[in-house]
Amino acid sequence: MATLPSPGIADKGFVSTNPELAAIDASVRWPVLICFLTAVHWMVVGTFLLVYASSLTHPQDSVPGLGLFVDLSDYCSFFTYGHVWPAALDSLVYGWASTAGMGLAIWLLARTCRSLVRAPGVLVTGIVFWNVGVAVGLTGIFLGGSSSVELLEFPEYASWILWLAYVLMAISAVLTFLGRKPGHDHLAQSWVLVALFAFPWLYAAGSTLLGTRLQAPSSALDPNASASWSFSLPGSGVVQELIGSWYVHGIYTLWLAPLALGVLYYLIPKMSGINIEYSSKAKAAFWSWIVLAPWTAVHDLVGGPFPADTVTVGLILSGLIFIPVTLIGLNLVGTAIDGENRQGHHGGVVFPFLTLAAVIFVVAGASEQLLSIRSINQVLRFTMFRECNTFLWVYGFFSFTAFGAMYYIVPRLLDFGWRSALLIRIHYYASVYGILLVLAMLGFGGIMQGFTLENPDPRVTIVTADEVAVSFYIGTTLCLSLISIGNGIFALHLGWMLLDWLRQQVRRSRLASEILFEPYVEEAPAKNSEEVSV
Amino acid sequence: MSIPQFRTFFFLILASFLFAWFGLVVFPWLTVGHLPPIQEEGSTDIIPWDIAGAAHQGELVYAANGCAYCHTQQVRASTSGADIIRGWGTATDDSDPKKEITRRTYPRDYIWQHQTFLGHNRSGADLSNLAHRFQTAAELYRYLYDPYILNAHSSMPAYRYLFTTRRVTGAPYEDALVLAAADAPPAGWEIVPTAEGKSLVAYLLSLNKGYHLVPDESGVPYVPPSKS
Repeated sequence: MATLPSPGIADKGFVSTNPELAAIDASVRWPVLICFLTAVHWMVVGTFLLVYASSLTHPQDSVPGLGLFVDLSDYCSFFTYGHVWPAALDSLVYGWASTAGMGLAIWLLARTCRSLVRAPGVLVTGIVFWNVGVAVGLTGIFLGGSSSVELLEFPEYASWILWLAYVLMAISAVLTFLGRKPGHDHLAQSWVLVALFAFPWLYAAGSTLLGTRLQAPSSALDPNASASWSFSLPGSGVVQELIGSWYVHGIYTLWLAPLALGVLYYLIPKMSGINIEYSSKAKAAFWSWIVLAPWTAVHDLVGGPFPADTVTVGLILSGLIFIPVTLIGLNLVGTAIDGENRQGHHGGVVFPFLTLAAVIFVVAGASEQLLSIRSINQVLRFTMFRECNTFLWVYGFFSFTAFGAMYYIVPRLLDFGWRSALLIRIHYYASVYGILLVLAMLGFGGIMQGFTLENPDPRVTIVTADEVAVSFYIGTTLCLSLISIGNGIFALHLGWMLLDWLRQQVRRSRLASEILFEPYVEEAPAKNSEEVSV
Repeated sequence: MSIPQFRTFFFLILASFLFAWFGLVVFPWLTVGHLPPIQEEGSTDIIPWDIAGAAHQGELVYAANGCAYCHTQQVRASTSGADIIRGWGTATDDSDPKKEITRRTYPRDYIWQHQTFLGHNRSGADLSNLAHRFQTAAELYRYLYDPYILNAHSSMPAYRYLFTTRRVTGAPYEDALVLAAADAPPAGWEIVPTAEGKSLVAYLLSLNKGYHLVPDESGVPYVPPSKS
C-alpha cells in the first residue's frame, strides 16, 4: 500500500506548461469547481446521515449515550432509520458521487478531446438544477414521500428536476466531445461516453417505471378524498423488483464505475509517466465490463420468486465478471504499482489515492464474483454483506478516485496549492483504515450473520441472528465515523484552500487597482541631492 | 474516433445495454408480468385474492417509513435457503384457520400488490406471512408501539409517531392500546393509532399466503429433518 510523502504545497505553478491544456483548464474552471464544491457538500451531509443511520442499527442499550437518538427516532418520523438510511444513500449517490462524477466527466472530456468546454452557461444551469433536485428529493424523503425503491426513493417531483438537470449537463458534455480535435482519442473518452449514455436510460426507465405514482400519499390517506384513489407502478408484481435490481446495479456498474475508471485510465499513466501495462487488453476489458457488469443485478434475485431462466443466465454472465475485473486490475493496479516502484510517489497527494482506488476496484469486483456463486449468494444475500458491497463501490472505489482526482484538478483550476500536507495525510489514512474496517466489519459480519440465518437448526431465530450481527453493526458505526473524520477534513481543507485563494485574489486585485488608479505623483527631489551626487 | 467508428461504438454499446435490458426486464415481464389469478374448476373463487383498500393504503405507509430496508417479503424454497426452517413460510390456511400451509413464495403471490417489497436485508424477520404470527390488530398495534416487549434488544424502532394520545370522549376507542400501568396514559386519556397506523396494520395483517398455487407447486408442507 502506498505511503504518503510530503505533497508539494505551493501558492503557484500548477497550471499546465502546455498552453492548450492551460486554456482548457481555464475554460472548465467554474463549472467543474461548482460541481466539486456542491458534491463535497452532499458528501458531508450524506456521511453525517450515514453515521446517524448506522447508530440506529444497534439496539438502545448497546452503546451508552445512543438512547437519545433512539428516543428521537421513536417519536419523530424524521429521525427513523427508514427515513435516514435512504436519505443518506441517495445523498451519497446522487449528491456526492453523481455531481462529482459529472465534474470529472466534463474535465476529462475537455482535456482528452483538447476542446474548450461548450455551452458552459447551460452546464452551470444544469448543475444548479441538479443540486436543487437532490435537495428537493431529500426533503421529500424526510417528509414521508419516499417510495422505498432502492436508489429511487426521491419523490416524483424531484426526479423530474434531476432528469431535466441531467439533460442540460449532458448537452454540454456531448457538445464538448463533438468539438474534439482529430487525433485525440483516449480510452477514457469511451468510459465517460458509456456513463453519459447509461445514466439517462437507467434513470428514465427506473423513475418512470418505479418512481411514478398516480396520486400522492397524503391525498391517498385523506379519508375525505374521493374513492378513486389509487396508485400503481407500471411494472406489475415481481417485475418491479427486477427493474429495481437492474437499476441499482446499473447505477453502480454502468454510471459510477465507468466515470471513475475513465479518470483512472487517464490519470494513472499520466502521473506515473509510463504507458498502461497490458494496454492491448484495455479494449477487451472495456467491452467485457460493459456486457457483463449489468448482469450483477441477479445477485439480488437468486432463490426469490423470479423466472429461473433469468437468474441462471444472469449468474453465468455475472460469474464471468472476473474477466473484466482481472484485465482492468492488470491495467490499472499493474501500472500504478510499476509506476510507484520506478519513480516514487509522483506528486505525493494524488497517486496514493488513485492506487488505492484501483485496488478497491478489484476488491469490489471480487465481492461481486463471490455473490455470483449460488451457494455463497444463498448465505450472503440478505445480510450486511450487501451494504459492504455498496460501500465498496460508492465509498471505496468511486470516492477514492474522486478524492485523488480533486487533489490533482483543483490546484490546476485555481493555480493555487493545497494548504497542508498533514491534513491530506490524515484524510488518506482515515479513508484507508475506515474502508478496510468497513470491509472487515460488514463483510465478515455479513458472513457470520448469513451463517446464522441459514442455520439448519429450527431453534435459531431472527433474534439469534440479530445478536450475532449487532457487534458488527457497532463496529461499522465506528469505522464510518473514522471515514467521516477523513471526509470532513477533506471538506474543511477544500474550504480553507478556497478562502485562501479568494484572499489572494482580493489582495492581487487591490494591488492592481492601486497601481492603476492612484494618481501619479512625481517623487519629491531628494534633499541635499547635490551633496549626494557629489 | 472517426464518425463511422463512433457509430459502430454507439451501436455496440446500445446492443450490450439492450441485451441486459431484455434479459433482466423484458423477458421476465413477458413471462411473469401478466400472471392471472387461478380459478379452480367448478368454483367461482380465485386465488390469490386482492387485499382490501385499507391494506393498499398501508403500502404507502410501509414505503414512506422504509420498512423494506430491514424486512423482506419473500420465502425461498427449502433447496435454496433456510427461510422455511426459520418459519417464515408458514401461513394460516385461508379455508381453515386451524390449519397451516408452509411453502415458498411464487411470482403469482404478488400480482395484486401495487408495490412489491421483496427487500434485500434481513435485519428483521421476513414478513411474507406476518398475519400468521400476529393474529389480531391489537397485538400488532402493541408491538409497533413498543417492540421491546417481544425482544428487549430489538433494533426495531418504536413507531410511536403512528399513535396519538387523546382524551376519551364517550366509550373508549376499540383500537386503543392496552398498556401496562407504567406505560399507560393518565386516566381519561387513551393512545390510539393514527390513520397511517391503521392502514399500516391493515396492510401487515393482509400478509398471509394461506392458499396453494396448484399449477406452481404441490403444496407439500415442509417436514423438518429428523435428528439422527
